[in-house]
Amino acid sequence: MLISHTTFLKKTQLILTWIFLASAAGNCVAKTEEIRGKVETFLDTYCYDCHDDISAKGNLNLLDLNFDIKDPGNFKSWRAVYDAIAHGDMPPKNKKQPNGEAKSEFLTTIKNPLLEVDREERKIFGRVQTRRLTRREYEHTLHDLLGIDIPLKSYLPEDPSLHGFETVADVQQISHFNISAYLNAAEAALSEAFRRTKKENKVYSRSFTAKELGTEDARGAGNYRGPDFRDGQSITWPMTPQFYGRMYSTEVPDSGWYRVTLKNVVAINPRDGVVWGTLRSGVCSSNAPMMFPVGIVEATTQKRDIVFEAHIKESHCLEIKPNDTTYKRARNGAAGGRVSYKGRNLKEDGYQGIAVSGIKVERIYPNANRDQVIQNLYAGLDWDALKKGKPTREVVTPAIRRFANRAYRRPVTHEQIEPWIELAVAETKKSGASIGDGLHAAYRGILCSPRFLTFVEKPGKLDDYALASRLSYLAWNSMPDAELRHAANQGQLTSDPKELHRQLNRLLDDPKAERFIKSLADQWLTLNLIDFTTPDRSRFKTFDLIVQDAMIEETQTFLQDLILNNRPINKLIMADHSFMNERLARFYGHTEITLTPGEGTQRVKLSSPYAGGLVSHGAIMKVTADGTVTSPILRGIWMGERILGLHIPPPPPGVPAVEPDIRGAVSIRDQLAKHSKSESCAACHRKIDPAGFAFENYDPVGRWRTGYGAGNKGAQVDPSGITSDGEAFKGIQGWKAIHASRPEMLAKAFGKNLLTYATGAPPRFSDNWDIQQVANQTKDDNYGMRSIVHAVVATEAFRSK
Amino acid sequence: MKNVNITLGKSLSRRSALRNAGIAMGLPMLDAMMPAFAVNDNQPKAKRFLGVSLSLGLHGPLLVPETAGNRYKPSPYLQPLQDLRDDFTIVSGTSHPRVGGGHTAESSIFSACPNKNDGAAKNTISLDQLFAKHLGHETRFPSMVLNTGSSSSPSYTENGAMIPAMEDPVKLFNKLFKDDNAREQDQQAELIRSGRSIMDIIGDDAKSLQRELGHGDKEKLDHWFTSVRELEKRLHANEAWIRKPKPKVNAVAPYHVNLSNTISIENAMLEIVHLAFQTDSTRFMTLHIPGTAKVNGVAGVNEGYHSLSHHGRDEEKIDQLAIVEQAVINEWADLLRRLKAAPGENGSLLDETMVLLTSNLGNASSHDNRNMPVLFAGGGFKHGRHLAFDQKNNYPLPNLYLSALHRAGLEHEHFATSTGLMDGLV
Repeated sequence: MLISHTTFLKKTQLILTWIFLASAAGNCVAKTEEIRGKVETFLDTYCYDCHDDISAKGNLNLLDLNFDIKDPGNFKSWRAVYDAIAHGDMPPKNKKQPNGEAKSEFLTTIKNPLLEVDREERKIFGRVQTRRLTRREYEHTLHDLLGIDIPLKSYLPEDPSLHGFETVADVQQISHFNISAYLNAAEAALSEAFRRTKKENKVYSRSFTAKELGTEDARGAGNYRGPDFRDGQSITWPMTPQFYGRMYSTEVPDSGWYRVTLKNVVAINPRDGVVWGTLRSGVCSSNAPMMFPVGIVEATTQKRDIVFEAHIKESHCLEIKPNDTTYKRARNGAAGGRVSYKGRNLKEDGYQGIAVSGIKVERIYPNANRDQVIQNLYAGLDWDALKKGKPTREVVTPAIRRFANRAYRRPVTHEQIEPWIELAVAETKKSGASIGDGLHAAYRGILCSPRFLTFVEKPGKLDDYALASRLSYLAWNSMPDAELRHAANQGQLTSDPKELHRQLNRLLDDPKAERFIKSLADQWLTLNLIDFTTPDRSRFKTFDLIVQDAMIEETQTFLQDLILNNRPINKLIMADHSFMNERLARFYGHTEITLTPGEGTQRVKLSSPYAGGLVSHGAIMKVTADGTVTSPILRGIWMGERILGLHIPPPPPGVPAVEPDIRGAVSIRDQLAKHSKSESCAACHRKIDPAGFAFENYDPVGRWRTGYGAGNKGAQVDPSGITSDGEAFKGIQGWKAIHASRPEMLAKAFGKNLLTYATGAPPRFSDNWDIQQVANQTKDDNYGMRSIVHAVVATEAFRSK
Repeated sequence: MKNVNITLGKSLSRRSALRNAGIAMGLPMLDAMMPAFAVNDNQPKAKRFLGVSLSLGLHGPLLVPETAGNRYKPSPYLQPLQDLRDDFTIVSGTSHPRVGGGHTAESSIFSACPNKNDGAAKNTISLDQLFAKHLGHETRFPSMVLNTGSSSSPSYTENGAMIPAMEDPVKLFNKLFKDDNAREQDQQAELIRSGRSIMDIIGDDAKSLQRELGHGDKEKLDHWFTSVRELEKRLHANEAWIRKPKPKVNAVAPYHVNLSNTISIENAMLEIVHLAFQTDSTRFMTLHIPGTAKVNGVAGVNEGYHSLSHHGRDEEKIDQLAIVEQAVINEWADLLRRLKAAPGENGSLLDETMVLLTSNLGNASSHDNRNMPVLFAGGGFKHGRHLAFDQKNNYPLPNLYLSALHRAGLEHEHFATSTGLMDGLV
């Protein structure tokens, strides 16, 4: 008898549901009533006043809430009750409080059944379903799989995120737009890969003299905006016309990666030994005004070559100029947006300048050479058989099997690749088609399969291949390499915990681990939001893009040092060092720091342990403000969620937001005090506001301030507060001292965030015990951050679907 | 069907309506002004919809008129639109129920999907896509989703997936009006053909994976499967359009647009919207103006748009913000003028086209999602009024969306959290 597909699925569903109910709940009916009875007195004494059928504050009526936790909605309610009591959010501080014994008895009574149900569900459904590669993961994976290096992110829609994490499967939705985008992206990637295998690739390498750099063609005629050619050098000065500093002669013929060498770079009229500038690429004309960063130029008094590697688009040219808002601007020297240097000497006039003696531009292929690309596409192909005639199934099968094996990150079955073999053979039969065309068609399909685009994870413990993928995407944002794959083939990852950790160490020690640091900084620390606001130029005159770039580097480097060198987690809060370049140190006003010119971002010693710590980095202060004003609420929530691991529920509906007032007459603190007067607001704001207030001495771009408004002349900053558990502090130093002495709390928060990032599942009830284990295991290690990464990988949650 | 007002052949005189204007707003009684025969069969049908959305709201005190009804005194922002006074309705005191979270509510602008309780909640279909789903098959493009500065959009599919927006006006123009040469057509046909054969296999692949993984992943892989099938359908439909010449228009691709000036982009895009509607290339469009939009070169503005929206009641900032917002509104109004001047099948193109302007934020400075700004034009509705609802206890905006659906002949019972057809909109 033929059972229709839907019927089959429905049956599976029924059977599964039945198993689930039977095992999780067992003798459940009697049990749940019993549990409800046990906690009745507690609820009656401490909860019903507000949460009964009449008041039902916050829409919670506990009086009529059965203990029926197999129902997801009911589970959520009881979990919220558990959390509120466990974290001390409820009962409200002005109400009768349970003693420790009553509290712990209540919690234990409901904890165990909640845990049982949650773990059972985890076992059957897993914590995460059909997680998809993010754009960033997709690009890295195709680069590693094919050996190409072209940008691919722009082919795919932006990733949605939950609490900053793009990896969370629950918010990844799919539509025909995505599938269509995958078709296009795969086509672009494969076209590039097959192009790279062809022989006729020309080598592009050109050198330009200073004189050539200052030569504009017809496009610039009558509207010169190029550099100043003087004494055999090509020099640019701080000038404002758009595209000033463009060098049309450097236009590149094709889109691709280039190595750009600035020859004999030297600073003119340096400040503290340096002139800061930007190197960018673009069409440099008004109908295509977008400019793309190539790098930051730190010109010093010592002549030296500076090398950059960047992707540059076809027919874009380079533009170089001093770029520091604190430099005095030079006049154009001509009317109508033109630039002229005639009859003046800007060096003698004291302007900062960057001089080069020439530029070399070479095409490079940073990810793989031609032989490696050929290997990636054609390995396994039976060339001898191919020579005998048109490709047959037998000829293409080994190549397709090998490619699918790598793309799917696990061994493939014959059924899975059979359609692709057929497709490849059919394609090669077309007139004029080559074996490459056949493989291209099959590979394009393979790259659109959910077996490539999603993480194939079966319920329960992950198999070796799924575990290898998790590990590899955690540390590299990409597919496992041959060595990790080999370990998976041998079954070592699931059977030998030592091997799992050995592999993790190997991955973290590889340069590709930089992807992990950047990705974590973007998602956990939300640095990807740094462009969301542009600080008010009139108010923050010394902030510019070089400062912002240096800030991002400061935080990334700091994080990299903490994780790779296993530093104690409380360095997130307090540290007497940081990583800055001269521009950033000057921006912060750290006059006591001495830096070596030309060394870029360097490790610096700060005056006190309170001066450092990741949480008060400029980048963090900027992403937690809105460009114009700081918000203790945003900062408080950020600290709570990202660093302290506080449970902060979203604001209830219908609560009016606090409208900031920057005229300086009213401080945000006064406004918030009014807002938080009502007890229902205070329950959450007790947790949010203290951290927010503590950081009020940092303005929206991370500089120290003592007062609000223009020139800090408005209301005085009052950074004092009391933590939600009752410890008073006078300002940021006090706040830092309190929280730096709570490393377990910090370790648990990081562990939880990392687990979300690495598995794609938001934290759930039973995770708390995995996370506690992480804290216990790393305690003796001073909660070293690398140890925490290892401990997270060792959890049941990480090693299971 | 709920909420159809049965009128009894008598219609309210204009004078009596005027007399009561101050108090009558928001009352369904105004429906009585429609003569009875206009309901049912002869009710005007709108064919098109454009939703323009802003990430950062419109400054309430400059937008919302002080008085209600059809004799409302124009607010500063509406002063330049007085020639269009009878062509649009301004609505105040509305918002999407149970939608909050400041900027995150952007995803609910056209879907009205409640997001308050669970951040992980999946979005639901947006209004433009619901139109396109039922009525989009007749044109070359079932819908088009545009943005003046990023690829994000408030347009969502039934699966709750965001539709990436087109942000380059030149590419948009060429897609609509520039014929591909024979070689490009062949290439496209080839890509579509190979795409379709791949889709065949991927559909089966998703099904077999579903069997391997079991119950938990079922829903997600179902979405894969339906998305693949949907794309197959689209590819099939596109195949038919490849060789058909695109409409010729008396315009050139907007190469002159300053891409760091969102007003300039809005202008170019709305000109293309007009041409797209006029040539019946598509009937359903959205255009989003994101918070990251650049306003370089807007005279009198020297700060970032997002930063201006956080004006913190600073008057100088509000003045600059007003320049940007007025320009956004003026471009929207210019589109109305163009649509009004273009002939449609019955009356003007504007009569057949519903044009909305709104935002997820009622007050960007405090990230408040209540009191969303709403300007609504065209579609054969009776306009010229200020529908003033309660600023403290907002009226559900999804009711407007339901009215729009009905006007296009899609007589759904509800849209998202709607409670009925929009009061006062006939």
